[in-house]
Amino acid sequence: MNTAPTTTSPAHLTSLTDAGVSGSTRHPVRTGRDDVRSLPAALRSEWLKTWTLRSTPTILGLSFAIGLTLTAVMAIVVENDPFDDRPFTVAELFFVSTFLSGILAVVIGVLSFTSEVQHGTLAGVVTARPARWVVVMAKAANAAVVGFGMGALAIAGGLIGSLSGGLEMGDTSGMVVDAVSGIVLTTVAAALGVGVGVVIRHSSAAVASVLVWALVVENLLRSMAPTQVARLLPFSAANGLLGTRQATDTAEMIASAFSRAQNAAIFGGYTLIALVIGTVLLSRRDVA
Amino acid sequence: MITVSSLTKNYGDRVAVDHLSFDVAAGRVTGFVGPNGAGKSTTMRMMVGLTRPDTGEVRYHGIAYDQLQHPTRMVGSVLDARSMHPGRTARNHLRSVAALAAIDPKRVDAVLHQVGLDTAADQRVGGFSLGMRQRLALAGALLAEPEVLLLDEPANGLDPDGIRWLRTSLTDFAARGGTVFVSSHFIGELAMFADDLVVVGGGRLLADEPVTATLARGGSTVNVRTPVAGELARLLERHEIAVELTAGGLVAHDSTTEAVSTIAFEHRIQILEIVEAARSLEEILLEMTGESAEFAAA
Repeated sequence: MNTAPTTTSPAHLTSLTDAGVSGSTRHPVRTGRDDVRSLPAALRSEWLKTWTLRSTPTILGLSFAIGLTLTAVMAIVVENDPFDDRPFTVAELFFVSTFLSGILAVVIGVLSFTSEVQHGTLAGVVTARPARWVVVMAKAANAAVVGFGMGALAIAGGLIGSLSGGLEMGDTSGMVVDAVSGIVLTTVAAALGVGVGVVIRHSSAAVASVLVWALVVENLLRSMAPTQVARLLPFSAANGLLGTRQATDTAEMIASAFSRAQNAAIFGGYTLIALVIGTVLLSRRDVA
Repeated sequence: MITVSSLTKNYGDRVAVDHLSFDVAAGRVTGFVGPNGAGKSTTMRMMVGLTRPDTGEVRYHGIAYDQLQHPTRMVGSVLDARSMHPGRTARNHLRSVAALAAIDPKRVDAVLHQVGLDTAADQRVGGFSLGMRQRLALAGALLAEPEVLLLDEPANGLDPDGIRWLRTSLTDFAARGGTVFVSSHFIGELAMFADDLVVVGGGRLLADEPVTATLARGGSTVNVRTPVAGELARLLERHEIAVELTAGGLVAHDSTTEAVSTIAFEHRIQILEIVEAARSLEEILLEMTGESAEFAAA
C-alpha cells in the first residue's frame, strides 16, 4: 500500500559534509578494461531496478496466465488440430503460448529502456556509466533473464492448462526441444525489445511499432513476399523457432522452412543488429 | 577545480551556448545565474556529458568527465529532481544508483539520514513532493562522496527551512574543500552564500567574478528628503551626479551620503533625511542580463 508521504523536519536534517570531501584524491582515467569491469555493477543495478517494481512479478504472472488460459481454451473449446482434425495433445499445445509471451517480452524489453527516458532516469545512468554500451548490454542481459522467466512460466502455465483441459500427453519425445525453443524465443525477444527501445526511445511509439509489425505488417509481407524472403522476417523466424505452422502457410513455405537452429540464428541476428544500432545511436545522441 | 573552455552548443540556428569559458574553484560556492534561455541548463548538461558540445570542453582536474574512471566520485549532480521512477521507493532508488556506481550500499541509509528522508525511505517516490524529490536527488548526488556538487535549481520546491538547510550544507561542503557549482533563480538567496558568480546571458559569459565584485558594480543610491529638491538636483547635476526627483525629495544615483551632504552643506540646503542604499544583487544581475534575456515580460 502506498502510504502518504511523511514530511521532513529540519530537526532531522544533518549536514551534507558528513560525507566528507576529499580534494586531493587522484582520479585515474577510464580505460576499456574499466568499462568491462563495470558490467557486473551495471547488471546489479538493472536487477535491482527490475525487482523493485511491482510490474515485474505482474508481467511474469501474466505470462503464466496466458499459457494457462490459451491452452485450456484450445483444449476445451477448439479440441482438434485444424490442420489434420486430430485431437490436440499436451505435447502439441503446452508451449504454443510462448509466441504471445515472446511478443510480450519484446514489449517488456522496450519498456525497460524507454521508461528510463520517460522518467528522466537515463541521465543518471549515463552520468554514472559514461560507456553507454555497458548500459545497453546490462539492460539486454537483464531483460533476457526476465524473458527467460516469462518463457518458463508460459510453459508451466501451458502444461497445467492443457492437462487440466483433459488432453492426452501424446508423443512426448520432442517436448524438451519444444520447451527449450519456447524459452529461447522469449529470452531473445526481450533482448530484441531493448534494442528496439534504445533505437526508438519513446514508449508508445516503440510498443506500437513492435505490435503493428508483429501482428499486421509482417503478416502482410508474408502473404506478398516470395517465400525465400518471407522466411527471413523476424517473427516468421520466431514462429519457425517454435516449429509451429500458421494457417496461412503454403506448402512451398513448409517445404522451404529453416530448421529451428537456423530460425534461432535469424531471430538472434535481428536482436544483435537492433542492439548494435541502439548502442551506436545512444552513444551519439544527447541524453534528455 | 573545474575548467570550462570555449563551450559552444547550437540547436539549428539557435545558439544555446556561445564560447563559454570559466573556472570553478575548489573550496568555494559558485553561483551560476542568468535569465531563462541563457544556456545554464545546457551548460550543466554538457559538464556531465549528457549533451555533447559542438566545440569546447569541460575538465575536472584536467580530465574530461567521460574519461573519469569513477565519475560519480568526482561529480555529484542534480540536473532534474523529477528524474525518478514513481513506482520505486526512495531507498530502492538509491540502492540502484549505488549498485550502478559500485558504491557501498551502506551509504544509502547514511545519505537518506543526511537529507532528512529517513522516515520516508520506504515510501514510493510517486507520492513525494517536489521538495522531497529534491532531497532524494541530492542524496543520490552525495552517495559516492564526490568532490564536486553540480546542482541545477536545487532550492526549487524546498520550504524555507529546507532552503536554509541547503544553504548551510553547501557552504559547509565548500568549507571542507568541496566544489559547489549551483544554478538558481533565487538570486537573493544565492547572494547569501555564494562566493563567486558566473553570469550568462544569451549563451555568453557576462561575468565571472567574486560576489563582492558584482555587488561593487551596482554602486549605491542616496535618497534625500528636502523641501528644496529642485535646487539640490541642479547642484548635484553640476557635479555630474545623476538625479531623479521624487515626491518630497530626490534620489542621487551612484553617489554617497558624504558627497551629497557635503554639496548640500556648502550651499546651505536643508536636508530632512538622507539614506544611502546599496543596490541588491538581483537588481545588478537583472541589469547585466537585461539585454540578453530571451524571455521577458512585456
